[in-house]
Amino acid sequence: MELPARVVEFLQNEFLGHARPFCFLIDQDYRLIESWGRADWCGLAGIDLATDMRGPAPYLTGVPITEVQEFEFIETPSRVVVNMHVIPENGHCYIVLLDAQQIHASIQSKQQSVNELRLMHASQQKLIRRQRDLISELVETRSELDHHRREAERISANKSRFIAMMSHEFRTPLAAIINYADLATEEGTSRNDVQKSIETISRSAKHLTSLVEAVLDDASLDAGQLELREDDFNIVSLLHDVGSMMAPLAAEKGLSFATYIDPDVPKVVIADEVRLRQIMINLLGNAVKFTVDGGIELKTSYNDGRLIVTVSDTGPGISMDDQERVFEAFERGSGRGETGAGLGLTITLRLVELMRGEVSLDSTPGEGCTVSVHIPVLAGEDSVSASAPILPAPSQDMFASNPLSVLICDDDADMIALVEHYLHRSGYGLITSSDSAEAISKALKYEPDLVLMDCNLPGVGGVTAARVLRDRGYEKPIVALTASKLSAEEQSAFTLFFRKPASMPELLSEIKRLTH
Amino acid sequence: MTPVTSKVCVVGDFAVGKTSVIERFVNNQFSGKYLSTVGVKIDTKEIEFPDLGVAHKLVIWDVAGSDEFGHTEFAYLRGASGYIFVADGTRQATLAVVEHLHGQITQKYGPAPFVLLVNKRDLVSDWSVSDDYLDALTKAYGNVYRTSAKTGDDVEDAITRLAELIVDNDIQGS
Repeated sequence: MELPARVVEFLQNEFLGHARPFCFLIDQDYRLIESWGRADWCGLAGIDLATDMRGPAPYLTGVPITEVQEFEFIETPSRVVVNMHVIPENGHCYIVLLDAQQIHASIQSKQQSVNELRLMHASQQKLIRRQRDLISELVETRSELDHHRREAERISANKSRFIAMMSHEFRTPLAAIINYADLATEEGTSRNDVQKSIETISRSAKHLTSLVEAVLDDASLDAGQLELREDDFNIVSLLHDVGSMMAPLAAEKGLSFATYIDPDVPKVVIADEVRLRQIMINLLGNAVKFTVDGGIELKTSYNDGRLIVTVSDTGPGISMDDQERVFEAFERGSGRGETGAGLGLTITLRLVELMRGEVSLDSTPGEGCTVSVHIPVLAGEDSVSASAPILPAPSQDMFASNPLSVLICDDDADMIALVEHYLHRSGYGLITSSDSAEAISKALKYEPDLVLMDCNLPGVGGVTAARVLRDRGYEKPIVALTASKLSAEEQSAFTLFFRKPASMPELLSEIKRLTH
Repeated sequence: MTPVTSKVCVVGDFAVGKTSVIERFVNNQFSGKYLSTVGVKIDTKEIEFPDLGVAHKLVIWDVAGSDEFGHTEFAYLRGASGYIFVADGTRQATLAVVEHLHGQITQKYGPAPFVLLVNKRDLVSDWSVSDDYLDALTKAYGNVYRTSAKTGDDVEDAITRLAELIVDNDIQGS
């Protein structure tokens, strides 16, 4: 049903009033034929007939006029907004422009808000991503810094430990050198004692040299400056040499020493002989150093192009915790108390790695220790059969007592010998010990008139030993003679404190004063 | 001079600077205030090519920003002789929009000359588009310009290049 005529008329007037339609008819060349309605609002007033309408209405350019089309919201160069209808008829075309200014303004305002929100959201997302990136970078940087800090702390701790260790290790042989030199030049020293003094000085100097060499080797390995020199050499001769060198040292401590060479070991191999010798001496030196009872074995085999050198001992063994640390520089394991730079195993590990080999350690505390190195070496000629073990004679622990007696506890045999020399000459009887626990037991058993105690000792250490002696009723003087630096609180455990290298006449004078 | 008139359409995502680029090209002006376009905005500018003996009038249809074209937008593009694609160097996603729109238009109306303007070169420190990516786009499409509507850098060069391409295309077509 059609709308009432009055309503239709009203709506038409409403629409025409708002839309202000302007209509023009053009031919196929876009030339103006006729126009209707108001043209002033859309900038097309006063155009002559036959004008190409693509001039005053450039938005007609490219628009085909052969089909009905509608274009919404065209903002013209005269900055009015029109809705354009293209209505072809009989080869001509009506173009109707309607004023869309109001509705365009309303939509534009809403669109503006939406777009600004979208831009804000995009900007926010970008900031969030940047923030996430920054947090990730921060976490990464912090983690790197933590790593560097821990590394710096570890290096600093190692350096401090190295300085403390070196201070002690260097002072001990230096003390022997200085004191024996004094002794040798003293009037009245027998020719025999001078000879012994020179031998001790020589031994101590060699020990110092080996310490310096170990430190330099470690530094060279650290700096990557150590190069291998591979050549043909007789491995069997090397094993015999090393065995001959180490067997007497084991024998001095009453330890058995045996070397076994597997028949499969080639007689000649291609490797760096000097460094292989150094590895064996380091491993055997440690075994001799830390083993008190029993013996040491050096076994060598060859399998699948790899030389396997195994050193086993019946020493105190290494706890699981220490097994992880003993290969680190300046680590000697807890409670082992022996001398040295603490670099032997570090250097061994690095040399083996330089030779593209591996080191393995197997130990149960109290049941000894086995260290094996596996090194790829090229075989030369023949193999040899196993050799027989070398068995040295055990040595004896010596002690003595006298009415005026002194117990000397020091893990350095040369130091004991030096003090022994001076005290013997002054008529003292001597009790010796190289271990703090043993010193406590001997002091309580023999009640010497004075205890002369080193501090960096195997077992509980000199300071604790002095306190234990006091707790257990030992009342006579306890004198510290040590290369270690003691705090005031630690010094209070002793009657007197001497730091190595001490003046022997001065020490003797104080001992005489305290025991008379 | 032979007068030539061509319809070119400016397309791209919203707020990439399409209207600002045209404002710089036509009136050599720039306003930092963002005003979104609704529908299409018409401008004209004539470029002369004395060597070719051509006075080329461009009727520029600056189409409202969109990441997907529908019936209304395709109506605006009808009869276009070339395109100015615009992206925002600080928003990498707007380059993906350009690639998508280029695909849509080519599928609907076939290939036509175009230039790609990566705009907001004045904010290059905030750009999220790498040089490698732009080099790859240049290899793929050719005629990629790093422009700034704010400073005017490369705007005229880019659109003049499009006008040349359209003339070349017309000469080859005829």
